[in-house]
Parts: sequence; C-alpha cells; structure tokens
Amino acid sequence: MSNQDGKRFLPEGRHLMMGNEAMSEGAIAAGLTFFGGYPITPSTEVIEHLAKRLPEVGGVCMQMEDELASINSVMGASLVGAKAMTATSGPGLSLMVETISMAANLEIPFVFCDVQRSGPGTGSVTDPHHNDLGLVRFSGNGEFEVIAIAPMNCQELFDLTITAFNFAETYRCPVFILSDAYLGHLHEVVEIPPKEEILKKVIKREVPENITRQVFSYLDKKTGEYVIPKPPIMGTNYVPMFFFHTHHGPDGMVSPGGLKFVQTLVDKIKTNKDKICITEKYKLDDAEIVIIAYGLPVRVSYRAVDIARQEGIKVGIFRLVTVWPFPDEQVKEVVKNAKAIIIPELNYTGIIAEQVERVTPLDTPILKVPKVAVFHHPDEILKAIREVSK
Amino acid sequence: MSGLPMYPSEKPENPDLKDSFAGRLLGTYSSLFCAGCGYGIIGHIYTRVFEAEKLDPLLYPLVIGIGCYSQIMTLAHADSQKILTLHGRAPAIATGMKMANPKMKPIIFSGDGDCLGIGGNHFIHLCRRNLDCVIFIFNNSVYGMTGGQGAPTTLYGAKSTTTPYTMIENRSDGMKLALAAGASYVARTTVAHPRTLMKYFKKAISHKGTSVIEIITPCVTYFGRKNLDSLGAEYLGIEGKKMDTGGKMVHWIKRNVVRLNQAKFMTEEELFNKYIIGEFRYEPNKPEYSEEYAKIQKFAMGNGGK
Repeated sequence: MSNQDGKRFLPEGRHLMMGNEAMSEGAIAAGLTFFGGYPITPSTEVIEHLAKRLPEVGGVCMQMEDELASINSVMGASLVGAKAMTATSGPGLSLMVETISMAANLEIPFVFCDVQRSGPGTGSVTDPHHNDLGLVRFSGNGEFEVIAIAPMNCQELFDLTITAFNFAETYRCPVFILSDAYLGHLHEVVEIPPKEEILKKVIKREVPENITRQVFSYLDKKTGEYVIPKPPIMGTNYVPMFFFHTHHGPDGMVSPGGLKFVQTLVDKIKTNKDKICITEKYKLDDAEIVIIAYGLPVRVSYRAVDIARQEGIKVGIFRLVTVWPFPDEQVKEVVKNAKAIIIPELNYTGIIAEQVERVTPLDTPILKVPKVAVFHHPDEILKAIREVSK
Repeated sequence: MSGLPMYPSEKPENPDLKDSFAGRLLGTYSSLFCAGCGYGIIGHIYTRVFEAEKLDPLLYPLVIGIGCYSQIMTLAHADSQKILTLHGRAPAIATGMKMANPKMKPIIFSGDGDCLGIGGNHFIHLCRRNLDCVIFIFNNSVYGMTGGQGAPTTLYGAKSTTTPYTMIENRSDGMKLALAAGASYVARTTVAHPRTLMKYFKKAISHKGTSVIEIITPCVTYFGRKNLDSLGAEYLGIEGKKMDTGGKMVHWIKRNVVRLNQAKFMTEEELFNKYIIGEFRYEPNKPEYSEEYAKIQKFAMGNGGK
C-alpha cells in the first residue's frame, strides 16, 4: 500500500483549518497510510477527517472497537510498513499504555496524538489541561524513553506532525503530539508549503539496501554510538528472527542482558537529545526573568512579555517545543543567570516545573502560575512578572 | 536426527524436523511443553500444512497471543514470520496488519483465556468485520502458563487453582460467540482428530473471510490432574478417575465430544459440559472487510470522493 500522491497534498497556500484537521493533514503529508482510532472528545475530529481523507490517498482509516484495539491495529500496521498513528485523549491514553510499552520494546514506530482534556477520570471533556505529560513520559510498564512534542498553533500542528513522523522513523520510539482541547478545536489559517518542500522533509519507510538480521538498535562498540536501523517490515525479508518481548539483542534473539537492553532503549534517545530537543527563544538575550513554557501558555506569555518590556522589565520566554526528553543542558544555560523563573503551566502540579527545579540553582526563585481547564489571561502572567521583578 | 539420550532411538523420524524452527536452528526436536500437552500436535500440523500448501512465508504471518502456546515457535515452520503479541490483542494487531497490507492473510494463534477472556472484544469485532484471516482458539479450559487458574471456558464443576472448590460460572462457548458475531467459517475439532484439524486448516486458508477454528486440547498438568473423567458425563452418575496422563485426557476428550449431526438429537442435559465438534458455518460468499474497503478506496481515489 502506498500513499498516492494525487490527493495527498492540499493545494499550496493559505487554508482555514481546525487544529485537529491541521494535524490530520500534516500526518497525510508525512505519508500516513493507516489510522486506527476510537472516538473520544476532543480528538473526534481527527478520525472524522481522516475517515474521509485517507481512502482518497489509498490509506485506511478504521474505527476500532475500543482504544486497546485501535492502538494495537496501529502497531500491526506499522509492523507491515505503514506509517501509522492514532489520536485520543487522556482516558484513551490510559488504556493504550500497555501497547505503547510493547512498541517501545520492539522499537515499532508510530505517532500518537494526545488531545488533552481536563481530568482526572472522565473529567471535563472540552477543557484544556496539560495533565497527561506525566503519563506520557512514563507511559507503560518498563523503562524506556519517549518523545513528546507540544505545538501551540494550527500551523505548528501541521508542521510538527511531519517532524513527529520523522522522529518516529529515525529513533523508533513512540512519539507523542501533545495537543489540547482548545488547540484541537481552534480555527486558524494554515500555510501549506509547496509539495516539493514537504517531500524533501519526509523520511520514507522503506527496506534498506543491505538487508541484515540486525534490525533492533544496538551500541556500536567501535564508535560508541547507538545504531538505530530502519524499522523492520513484516512481509519483506527485512525482519528479525522472531519478534520476541524479552530482553532481545539486535537480531531479536540473542540477549545482551537486561541492563544493556534497557540502556539501549533509553540511551538511543538520550544521546541524540541535541537533535530531538527543539526549543525557541523570545527576547531572551538580556532577560533577567525567564518564562519557561510549552504549548498554549506560550502564546499568552508573548503578550505579557511585550507589556512588561514596555514597563522596562527585562523578561523573555524560553519555549520547549520538544517537551520530552527534557532539554537539561539548554535549560541549565538559560536559568544560569536568571534572577527569577516563571512557569505558567496548564496544570497544578507543574510537571515541567519539576524538571526545571531539578536543573536550576537552589537560590533562584521559581514561581509557578498554575491554571486548570481554561487558559491563562496575559494579566495573570503579567502579575507574576511584576511580583518577581520587585 | 541427532539422537539426544532422552529420546529412544526407535522413535520414528520426525517428518517436520527440517522445517521446524528448532529443527533448523538446533538440528534436533525441541518442545517446551509438558508431557501430554496437545500443542505439540498443533505445532506439527501447522508446520506440515505450511509445507504441504507451499504457503508464501511473506504473506502468511503468524500472530501469536500470550499463553503456553507462545512457545509453539520452536515447532512452527522456520520460514513463517512470527510475532509474539500482547495478551488478548492478537486479533487487533492482525487487523492492522491485514488492512495495511491486504495481500497478507494473518494466522492468529490464541488461547481460550486470550481470545474469550481478555481479548473477547477484539475477537467479536474481528468476526463481525469478517476480516480475511485464520484464528485458532486453543481451548484447554485453564490458564496453563500462570499455573492452572480457572478460564472462561472451564467446565462447570471443574476444579482449578482459583476455583479450588468447584467452578460455578457458566462456560463461554467460542463457537456460539463466533457465529453470533458473524464469522464466515466456524469449526471446532480436537487434537484427538488431527486429520480433521488439517482438513479444516487447509479449508480456512483457501477461504476468504474470518475462519475461526477452535481446538480442544488437553492440559494434563493443570486440568487433568485436578479433575475426574466423569466431567461432562454427570448425567450417567458414574464415579470418575483422575486424568493424570496424556492418554487418559485424550481418551476423555474423545468421549466428551459430540458430532454436530448427533448433537441435534440430544437434549440440553445430555449436552451439558460436552464439546460439539464439526463445521458450524461455511459461507464463502460473505463480503470480506478488506475487499469492501478497497472498493471504498477506489471510489474515493477517483472522482467519487469529492
């Protein structure tokens, strides 16, 4: 099955789109051919949109019987060489973690869109709440690393979805797109780049030229770097001897031992942090106060920073585009000389604040601005900036 | 065959040795199952049919669930591509594989706990879609790998480690479930009828649609040793004996099955705790999901979609 180019790309130019649709279009542009999903507010528009769009490009969109089946069908599709994804919200994610853990073990790549809603439990279905990151980064039993990306507008939902697929192909781990209820339902203009430009970016799923049995990641002792081969494809000759769940070696059978196996799963991501961790800086050069944020709160912070700058307060934003793995080194560099740090997060416990605290000098004050189920008003962040600048 | 001391030399040559996974890897017969287990027979039949039908290993992946039978890979054909999946999720994974590569025809191995317990929902919906694949349900009526706990298929009145007094739940019937859900080929046989099993398997491979084949198989270690052979013959009121060898269990299975055409003339009481064997349904012309989806794709890719 191949993603037919005919209707794969939307016409170049500006389109008004909903966040969930922009994400779906980004996925199709990245070569998505299989989507398995189960309707759950606020991610339902993804499956609705793809049910119409995927058959047009020769792909398959299946509404499965539950979240467990949808993530498993996605894994099955990825096993036979399709670029696959699913979309869900918090309660669905809790059901899916079993398979995410197994996919991490067998290094089966897929992309996972989590349109977060307010929890815990069923919670409030149409309110944004960045409360799934804790579950995302420790998703499933066992030790492994995942990649989580947090877009903040519809344009990024399109662009970063392509990046997410590339990460999945390159690093062979579950990749999460952390959207939320507001972002998913936001209507914005999306600039679709020309077809050639997208195709240049996309990493294709294909059988490598030199077929070996070494299909899982391993540490190359000569170079000291982790080798991540292309994902195996069932139905071709590029497969391991057996897809086995125990601690397996690069050929799927010979085990290097538990520690080395887990090390491989974790360190293949950690050693590539410089390529995975995308960050953005806004007016940070002379900033004394640093706002560290991801997702929607970043957009609110722009306004607060602009007003504060007019008042003469030196404040800037450090934005995490890749939320996980956490960019320790970059954050360390930013917080080194800061007088105070403000973390506006769309949750109460401060999942990223915890990580920032870990790398910040002990005497630097950290002010959390928590908010749940509704996004911040710029005044709230401005108030925090004024408070710490006193 | 290099003779290991544990196997007597007069043992007949294993015809599938060169094809089985362990045979090719180690050059010797290797089975990880208990004495008296039926999975060895199933593994050999799979290998033999795979070889006899000259199945393309690239198009017939083996999707294995979690249970004792996960170890069947040592007996299964060396060329077939195998994946060990999660507990109960094999039908869902096979759905993804089949839909992403419609040329494939996944062969699913799953157990009674796997398919009728934890993965019951996936099994129902696989049958409902009539997706082109073969699904085997290995029914030994206990959870063997974890040590003989009661399963959804444990017979009423039987003993297991989690039902030490007696099982008081009604057993679930995989065949009735498959029929109700809409699978197009539904058949049940036992390991005591290997030729029938081979016939059903060959038929399932050539059939377009979901083929559900339930195989009644003995578990001596955890079911036979705890239970009496009077199970399933309660109405006769005879005193049973412990089924502590494979022979006794196979004998019990043979006695405890009823052919479909005989079952029509038997009362509910007589059929209690019995296994009905035979072909329950064969509908070769029922619409198959991946073919129907291909039609939608063709329509959408043309001008029909917009």
